[in-house]
Amino acid sequence: MRKTNSLINNLDWPLLIGFLTLICFGLMTIYSVAFNEENPSIFSFSEKYGKQIIWIFLSLFFGGLVFLVDSDVYKKFALPIYLVTLGLLVLVLFMPPINGARAWLGVGSMGIQPAEFAKITTALLLAKYVSDLNLKLLSSYNVLIALIIIVIPMGLILLQPDAGTFVIFTAFFFVLYREGLTFDPFILKFINLLPKVKYKQTWIGSHFIPILFVLVFLSILTILLGHKNLGIIPGLPLYGSFGIIVSLFLISVAGILFIQRFGTKREKIKVRIIIVLSFIVGSACSYFVEYSFVHLADHQKDRIELFLGLKEDPNGKDYNRNRAMAAVGSGGFSGKGYKNASVSSVKTNHVPESETDFIFCPFAEEWGFLGGVVLLTIYLFIIIRILVIAERQRSSFNRIYAYSVGMFFFYHFSINIGMNIGFAPVIGIPLPFFSYGGSSMMSFSIMVFILLKLDSQRRHVLR
Amino acid sequence: MNVENRRYVIISFILFVGIIYLSRLFYMQVLDDSWSERAHQISEKRTEVTPPRAIIYDRNGLKIVGNKTYFNLMVIEEKMGDDFDTIGFAKLIGWEPRMITERFLEIVKGEGTYYNKYVGKKESNYQKTRPYPFLKEITKEEMVRIAPFLDSYPGFYEEETSMRYYPFPNGANILGYLSEVNQEEVSKDKFYKPSYNIGRAGIERIYEKQLRGSKGVHYIVRSAMNNEVKQYENGRYDTLAKPADPIHLGLDMVLQAYGETLMKNKKGCIVAIEPKTGEILSMVSAPSYDPNILVGRKSVSQFYPELLNNPDKPLYPRPTQAEYPPGSIFKLVQSLIGLQEGVLQENTSFPCNKALVGCHSHPIPSSVAKAVKFSCNPYYYYAVKKIIEQKKYANRFEDAEDGLNVWNQYMKSFGLGEKLNSDVYGLRAGLIPNSAYYDKWYGHRGWAFSTIRSIAIGQGEVKLTPLHMANLAAIIANKGWYYDPHFIKSPKKDFPIQIKKNQTMVESKHFPPVIDGMWRVVNESGGTAGLAKINGIDVCGKTGTVENYKGSVKQKNHSVFIAFAPMDNPKIAIAVFVENAGFGGTWAAPIASLMIEKYLNKKISNPAKEKRVLNAVLNNN
Repeated sequence: MRKTNSLINNLDWPLLIGFLTLICFGLMTIYSVAFNEENPSIFSFSEKYGKQIIWIFLSLFFGGLVFLVDSDVYKKFALPIYLVTLGLLVLVLFMPPINGARAWLGVGSMGIQPAEFAKITTALLLAKYVSDLNLKLLSSYNVLIALIIIVIPMGLILLQPDAGTFVIFTAFFFVLYREGLTFDPFILKFINLLPKVKYKQTWIGSHFIPILFVLVFLSILTILLGHKNLGIIPGLPLYGSFGIIVSLFLISVAGILFIQRFGTKREKIKVRIIIVLSFIVGSACSYFVEYSFVHLADHQKDRIELFLGLKEDPNGKDYNRNRAMAAVGSGGFSGKGYKNASVSSVKTNHVPESETDFIFCPFAEEWGFLGGVVLLTIYLFIIIRILVIAERQRSSFNRIYAYSVGMFFFYHFSINIGMNIGFAPVIGIPLPFFSYGGSSMMSFSIMVFILLKLDSQRRHVLR
Repeated sequence: MNVENRRYVIISFILFVGIIYLSRLFYMQVLDDSWSERAHQISEKRTEVTPPRAIIYDRNGLKIVGNKTYFNLMVIEEKMGDDFDTIGFAKLIGWEPRMITERFLEIVKGEGTYYNKYVGKKESNYQKTRPYPFLKEITKEEMVRIAPFLDSYPGFYEEETSMRYYPFPNGANILGYLSEVNQEEVSKDKFYKPSYNIGRAGIERIYEKQLRGSKGVHYIVRSAMNNEVKQYENGRYDTLAKPADPIHLGLDMVLQAYGETLMKNKKGCIVAIEPKTGEILSMVSAPSYDPNILVGRKSVSQFYPELLNNPDKPLYPRPTQAEYPPGSIFKLVQSLIGLQEGVLQENTSFPCNKALVGCHSHPIPSSVAKAVKFSCNPYYYYAVKKIIEQKKYANRFEDAEDGLNVWNQYMKSFGLGEKLNSDVYGLRAGLIPNSAYYDKWYGHRGWAFSTIRSIAIGQGEVKLTPLHMANLAAIIANKGWYYDPHFIKSPKKDFPIQIKKNQTMVESKHFPPVIDGMWRVVNESGGTAGLAKINGIDVCGKTGTVENYKGSVKQKNHSVFIAFAPMDNPKIAIAVFVENAGFGGTWAAPIASLMIEKYLNKKISNPAKEKRVLNAVLNNN
């Protein structure tokens, strides 16, 4: 009795319902965007909406299949299936390219993208490896192995090339950050080479995510201020990184003076080192970014300048983003109405890929701000629900895997929606459960169903 | 370090991104309109439909300007297909096959370019999916022949347009013509797009805004390939093209046509006015041309240079722009000023002293009426001398200066030497000199009446347009007042002119002697215009014979006649000016009488008079 109920009782229904809602919304949007009067039935399998239905059922079928597998199997077979996907990633490089990338395995529209599945298997292997580590006694060897698990598929994916999925793999760093994995063993090796320095741990090694954000912020600032006089010191024109370095210097001096006046002796030494280190790292980063930006190839420079709004080319290089934003922005408060998208329907074709990567456009155009709020809320709910699920796991294997899934979702969500509203560069990644396409639908479904399975059996696992 | 708390770092970061995205969406979709505008720009096509120009009627409700349906043969290159039968198509439209290719090149370089105002030069935007006019201005008859075969030439289809059509081959100088707008007009007025037509002269130009109507606008959702997908929001914002209301003129087209017939083989003009209203009944400029030959670019390019280079200047609107010395008809207004100034009385008599100025033999002009009847030159030498030199000042020159300026004021009150406030296109002022004018020639106080005496008989410096002359007849018919001569009947508020009544400086009591004289000119034996007499109609008139020179070579005199009729209830005032036709009574007077009779009685009682005029060839000198 308890056994039969357990599946239903232990299943995380909020996540499952959120998942099904997104699928419905997505199908509805594809039906509107790709509507063809000649095949008006949603079950017309020659049309994209009909095909999407097939993908949905296939996904549910495979999802159900993985759900039947006992949760232990995933940990046990993490390495073999990881190696199989690596094999597929190598194999795919010998396939004929489609749209300039060797990403597809199989024939025609029924092909699959191994990169999508590599996300799952990498997550599983990483979860298995890191969960077995003693994070308090981490060796540089352990860190290296963890990195290799992530970097090998990333490298293979970059060879396809598939920049989108490559970027998605950086989601694992959030997971490692949450687990408390630190790069200290590496960093200490170098720092302790300095005379008279004997650190046991560094702040940088374990807080790499916040530091990363500060550095990204500094880099963007450097490029944005590349041609502007900051005017901090009257009469002395300061441009770009030079200006930032001077500003950082002034802030650092002010910080040291402040701590000199108010801090205790212990704090003084510690904070002084932190400030000096931060200054060095920050200045180096800013200088490096400017130096490399200036030496970038023109087309790459263009992309960055367009993205940061330093350049305008709405009908040329910035065509996609400009059309996408026009579609989203023209939706207004309550939208133009279902099937009334005039910019982003497949027929008018102003927004390219409006049924796949840019599917948020027709949705936002037809349902307006109200629809956008609903959709964004559902995504945020699902992501946070996954993190909540992650945090309630007893085993760190389950938690690491769940975090990986959550962060994938977050990456896809923020980059995909971001490129529709001008906040992210245009890199082709789908909106999970929403965009038309089989690989993404299947891989995300399998990913979620594995999570649901692990979660439903979380109590069986002993710590 | 407590790693557990890092979950909050991550969750806050996710929520932070979520909030930023929602705010961004709110800004883009609700607050900022620029993206909506951008969407309109890229996804909508605004097509404008121009209505046919307004129709114009004459005073009797005859349609004098209408529109005729024409066709443009449009082409969409993409739809032509690979196995297009160029030779067959060339045959169908009557072209050489190579001309087809040439025309395509011309489209790509012409209609397929646009002026990029950012770059400041023409750039190509030719698209194979877009329709372009391959052949323009095909008549209905031609289209009927071509249309059945168009099915075998995919990519080609017809599009209806309309162009001006003039049911009467007359009044070209009145109605004007249309031609394509220029770059400046396009940038000045948003109504116009390149290849639109605009009124260039005459009524078509003056009433351009009243004739063009309001454009209709269609909004269409278009694709990135520029295909039309569907109506925007089911045509919610579409408007229909609305032609403007018809315009009614005071012109009598039948009279105009008759006048043009009478003026065949002559140079000169006829202007007829309804005195009570100032409406112009007819305004003939000879030689003229059929207005239909200046419709459409094909015709314009063929006929316009021909008209322009014709030595008889058919494009020159003589009634408004030719400034002629008025000759003896000027004596009428001199008489009126003299009477008003009190220097003449009804029965003032002057001797016909041929030593002063030449004259013909006639009895003594013992009254103003007789002076008018005989058109006595010395009489007006005395009379105008009295007007100019009123002995108000001891200094002869000062006296003349003052006198001339008073005289000038009178003339201006008759609208002479002034541009009339009218909807007649291209008016000229003529010339009525004042003291400043002569000061320029002879120096201040360097002239007296004797210097300028030829103005007394309407020669010398004085110049009037035929429209002024006709208006003078109308003023006399009205005994002292006039409406500015104009074409429009009852102008609306937004029309370019409003009709104004003007009062001359001569009181109405001074008119009867002059009118009496004019009656005698036509109806008494010994009058100068016996040929203008019509049985049953009291015609009042005055002849003029204008000496003129080409350089310093004396030419044959111009023949002038102004008149109004009937005397008691004037319905028509007229001026006829025939260049180099000799004595005023010989040609101008009978032409005027035929016009008057045609207008009042609709028929001619003296066919011999009509025949004589019709057969006269007076333009071969």
